[in-house]
Amino acid sequence: MFPHFLTLQQVSRRQISSTVRRQLVNKVPDKQKLFQEANGMPVHLKGGVSDAVLYRATMGLTVLGTAYVIYELVKAALPQKKG
Amino acid sequence: MAHQAHAYHMVDPSPWPLTGAIAALLMTSGLAIWFHFHSTVLMTLGLILLLLTMYQWWRDIIREGTFQGHHTPPVQKGLRYGMILFITSEVFFFLGFFWAFYHSSLAPTPELGGCWPPTGITPLDPFEVPLLNTAVLLASGVTVTWAHHSIMEGERKQAIQSLTLTILLGLYFTALQATEYYEAPFTIADGVYGSTFFVATGFHGLHVIIGSTFLAVCLLRQVQYHFTSEHHFGFEAAAWYWHFVDVVWLFLYVSIYWWGS
Repeated sequence: MFPHFLTLQQVSRRQISSTVRRQLVNKVPDKQKLFQEANGMPVHLKGGVSDAVLYRATMGLTVLGTAYVIYELVKAALPQKKG
Repeated sequence: MAHQAHAYHMVDPSPWPLTGAIAALLMTSGLAIWFHFHSTVLMTLGLILLLLTMYQWWRDIIREGTFQGHHTPPVQKGLRYGMILFITSEVFFFLGFFWAFYHSSLAPTPELGGCWPPTGITPLDPFEVPLLNTAVLLASGVTVTWAHHSIMEGERKQAIQSLTLTILLGLYFTALQATEYYEAPFTIADGVYGSTFFVATGFHGLHVIIGSTFLAVCLLRQVQYHFTSEHHFGFEAAAWYWHFVDVVWLFLYVSIYWWGS
């Protein structure tokens, strides 16, 4: 009984680790190549199109937010009397 | 092609300090607008901007270190100093709340009944859930140290297992504290006892959530092969922060839960 149990353990371990190897390959060398490319791009845009999309969304919210906060603070500072 | 003749990191121009500053402006003004005019739009916008800033700023640091190789030994030394100084500032933050607790509890006023806990307050039993919480955090300190040694020894699978266990223990603590908060027989509005208890333990709980998040990011990075056995400062920073959170809890437990009951 004992040897059979050990064999089962070894088999399941082998199957699990081969599944892991298939799904999680080391992509760091590819990333290193991408981010070390001499294309003059700053690091916050160097990853590609998704970087630019996220940057534009963030900056858009920043500009809109700045305008909105100035509006709200001016409105709060100059109360409109009713009637 | 120009190359630097020094080991330091001259960062690329970045928009994130600006977006972060605007996020802080929007959150603080938004808080005031919420209090006075019942609108949460500004504050929510600030919070979204803060999350976007944090994600992109730290993503860029990972790119600069792991993918571009800018984190040379002198640069890493600077990062270590930075993390130590930040944690020190957090120590002082908590010191204030402990000061407030001891100020009120060492000389309880006649309004409280001249005693601590004040008249009418039933404190939590320190040997029930609070003691379990202590064990959970101490155990998580062991598992995070296990994770560190695993990383240093190149044991990838063990590092992933022990780091996952650490995060699970952190989440377990948070869940236990949440139920304690829900079941507590006193609230934050119950005089200075309630104030000191919930503000001190509340900020601690927030730091547990922050620490768990930091560790979770490290787990993702470990799975993606970012850490080497010699160079894994992101993980070390997270581990330092986690030990700090653990130590704060020990002080909270001894002072507020145990002595304070």
